[in-house]
Amino acid sequence: MPTTSAPDEHLRLEGIGVSFGAVNVIPSLDLSVRKGEMVAFLGPSGCGKTTTLRIIAGLNKPSRGSIMVGGRDITHLPIHDRDMGMVFQSYALFPHMDVSHNVQFGLQMRNVPAREAEKRAAQALEMVQLGHLAHRKPKELSGGQQQRVALARALVIEPSILLLDEPLSNLDAKLRDEMRVQIRALQQQSGITAVFVTHDQVEALSMCDRVVVMRGGHVEQFGTPTEVYERPATAFVANFVGRTNRLKGALTAEGILTGAGQQLRSATRLPAGAVDILVRPHRIRLQETGEADNKVQGTVSTITFIGDLVQYGVSVGGEEIVVEEATRRGRSPLAAGDSVTLGWSAEDTLIYPAGEK
Amino acid sequence: MEIHKTSWPMRILVFVLFVYLLAPVILVFPLSFSGDQVLRFPPSFWSTRWYSALFANSQMLKAFWTSLSLAAIVTVLSIVIAVPAAWVMTRLKFTGRDLLFNLFTAPLLLPTIVLGLAILIVFASFGLLATMQGLVFAHLVVTLPYALRVLAVSLSTQDRACEEAARTLGAKPLTVFFRVTVPMLTPGIVAAAALCFLVSFDEVVITLFLTGPRISTLPVELYNYVYNQADPLVAAASALLILLTLAVIMIVERAMGLGKAFVK
Repeated sequence: MPTTSAPDEHLRLEGIGVSFGAVNVIPSLDLSVRKGEMVAFLGPSGCGKTTTLRIIAGLNKPSRGSIMVGGRDITHLPIHDRDMGMVFQSYALFPHMDVSHNVQFGLQMRNVPAREAEKRAAQALEMVQLGHLAHRKPKELSGGQQQRVALARALVIEPSILLLDEPLSNLDAKLRDEMRVQIRALQQQSGITAVFVTHDQVEALSMCDRVVVMRGGHVEQFGTPTEVYERPATAFVANFVGRTNRLKGALTAEGILTGAGQQLRSATRLPAGAVDILVRPHRIRLQETGEADNKVQGTVSTITFIGDLVQYGVSVGGEEIVVEEATRRGRSPLAAGDSVTLGWSAEDTLIYPAGEK
Repeated sequence: MEIHKTSWPMRILVFVLFVYLLAPVILVFPLSFSGDQVLRFPPSFWSTRWYSALFANSQMLKAFWTSLSLAAIVTVLSIVIAVPAAWVMTRLKFTGRDLLFNLFTAPLLLPTIVLGLAILIVFASFGLLATMQGLVFAHLVVTLPYALRVLAVSLSTQDRACEEAARTLGAKPLTVFFRVTVPMLTPGIVAAAALCFLVSFDEVVITLFLTGPRISTLPVELYNYVYNQADPLVAAASALLILLTLAVIMIVERAMGLGKAFVK
């Protein structure tokens, strides 16, 4: 992990570690976030992403390491002096205050005069299209509306960093899509630095400038969504971000040999030895007629219609390869038992030393 | 919505149980309007003479006001003490926390007669017998465990994220306590207050040891009265006490809904 600080660096974690007794939940974490960018912490539950976010907010104390914001060490600053805007998974709106007073709370804590606080809260609510609900109680609002109030409450104090802890996980699918776009738009308008915790790769890839893929308390990869998706640093990242086929094989001087005996080509360079071969299902063509770096014969064994796409299970020399194709009207679908020629490029053939999970 | 048809044997069983539980309470009302000289059911004729007698009984009236002010003081003190104590018990982690909590709520399990004796012995040496302060202290021993239990349950089920949100928005710990924790605790506080009030107003055993000719509470006065004579005056007093209890419960119900205050 590079530790040289970028000139526009805003948030920096240095050797952050968390231990409970003898258990190292987070061994040592280094991270640098640029001003105005939105970074996702992506990983399965228990990977330490929420803990790291809470450490930045001050809600959890790290066992070691330091947190810098704008060049200033805030590791030992109490929560209320940190100037962070946080959106909680449960929204955490104050049930005894109306929407407007929820939003005004942070301003009151900053001793903003009552009239101005009211005005700024109204503007913030206008920004999330909730101006008309200012005098409702939180429990009278829908989940999506509560979520937007929480966002307005966090943004109205113009915090130095916006922290979002799985803010979309309690919303239904359609609303989640809308809120993704809205949160990203608000973040870009205000130019605020934001950290977004999620276990959903779609949220991470679509909303954020860069993605930190975490596992077991350490960073697997830190890169742009394209980098993380196209050039996963580890087999774990490839598996977690997007879907993959995984084949066993061996890398020799002649090339890659699969367990079933096919010869494959990859653009990745690795020392010779046992390897895992990963190919994304939608990067494989089902009926390859032209030239392809990798071409294998197989038989369709299962067909699953998902709506946007059709998933084919193709058995190739005893192994099952999943291929996904976008559905198109007027195209006769394949049937189970049809023989097919699969084809994909060397660039789409990712290889990792065997045994990496 | 599913509508359950209750079977007939079940309905009869429930009816019998209700009659068994409520009959003594309900019987008090006809008894209180008896015109007889002694407690007898059914009364041979009706009158309101025992209500008049009750309101003419200055000793009873004095005891009523003592009980009322005692219960009010005890309730306020219980809440003021128990809210911060319950906060410490549920929000801070320290060794011996469970032990301390069990110790604080232990008086609930002790026989009140034992408590009464112990308090008598201790208070005698401090000159607290038959004084208002003594009664307040003694009742607090009984009401605090109730208040602590109810408030600790409310606090531990409260969404901690709200307190955290307030902290991140710039509120200092004490501000969080008064502007977020306590307002969110209101249903629990009302429930605990109602409970403390009723427990204190109703307390007999411990109070018996501490009262005297100078100061006495209504339940103790009623006990002494029944000890000496058996006329329906106590029925009139009981009927009024039942109405008072109902009034307290209805205030709680109006304030936030009974279910919300007691069951959380």
